[in-house]
Amino acid sequence: MITVRLFGMTKMLAGNQGTLSLNLVNGRRVKDLVGVLETGYPAIGELIQKKKVLVSVNQEIAHEDTTIQDGDEVALLPPFAGGASAGC
Amino acid sequence: MSMQQPAGDDAKFVRVQREDFSVDAEINRVRGRSKRIGGISIFLGTARDRSKGRDVDRITFEHYEGMAQKTLREIRERALKDFDIIEVAILHRYGEIGIGENIVLIVVGAEHRAEAFRACTWAIDELKRITPIWKLEHTPEGEVWVEEHP
Repeated sequence: MITVRLFGMTKMLAGNQGTLSLNLVNGRRVKDLVGVLETGYPAIGELIQKKKVLVSVNQEIAHEDTTIQDGDEVALLPPFAGGASAGC
Repeated sequence: MSMQQPAGDDAKFVRVQREDFSVDAEINRVRGRSKRIGGISIFLGTARDRSKGRDVDRITFEHYEGMAQKTLREIRERALKDFDIIEVAILHRYGEIGIGENIVLIVVGAEHRAEAFRACTWAIDELKRITPIWKLEHTPEGEVWVEEHP
């Protein structure tokens, strides 16, 4: 079981939960996590596929082949506030 | 020129905080680093009342505690390494922020203005590009996470 932290829009798409507890049954890589998300939270899965939402592991941006170990800090990062069209 | 940074400078010159900051105090903190500073450039981001054609009543910033600070420390270190500057302070607020209030501050001290301007522009652009901070705009029609409709 891994815990995934959610922020901003991803938190909203998960019914305002700050974290998700997920079972990775078919592998321990980020792409396996994305597969689980696509089943349970298709809107979030789609944003990850479009690369609008990034996955971080231990506070570093991860790639689909990044391995997730027990106890790793995993998070889903929606587009940052300073995205191309935002800005102050 | 990059100075050796004693431990603990990160906490003074890189902060993510709920409370407001004093622009003067932060300028003086940078100014106090070295008598060689001859130019200080700042960027101050404030909350505006309009966004993409919508009125905005107030803004809430959410950040990823730990990763946000780490990212800002890395931006400071890269700025000190890649530009001919003496010090840079980077501050960002989180929580609810009213219209007109301070959001983000970059202060760069250098011997000469050109590098101070260049480093300041680079630092705020990089902050906006890679720092895990999110903006929720409160509008008369409801709440909108910026970039909610990709």
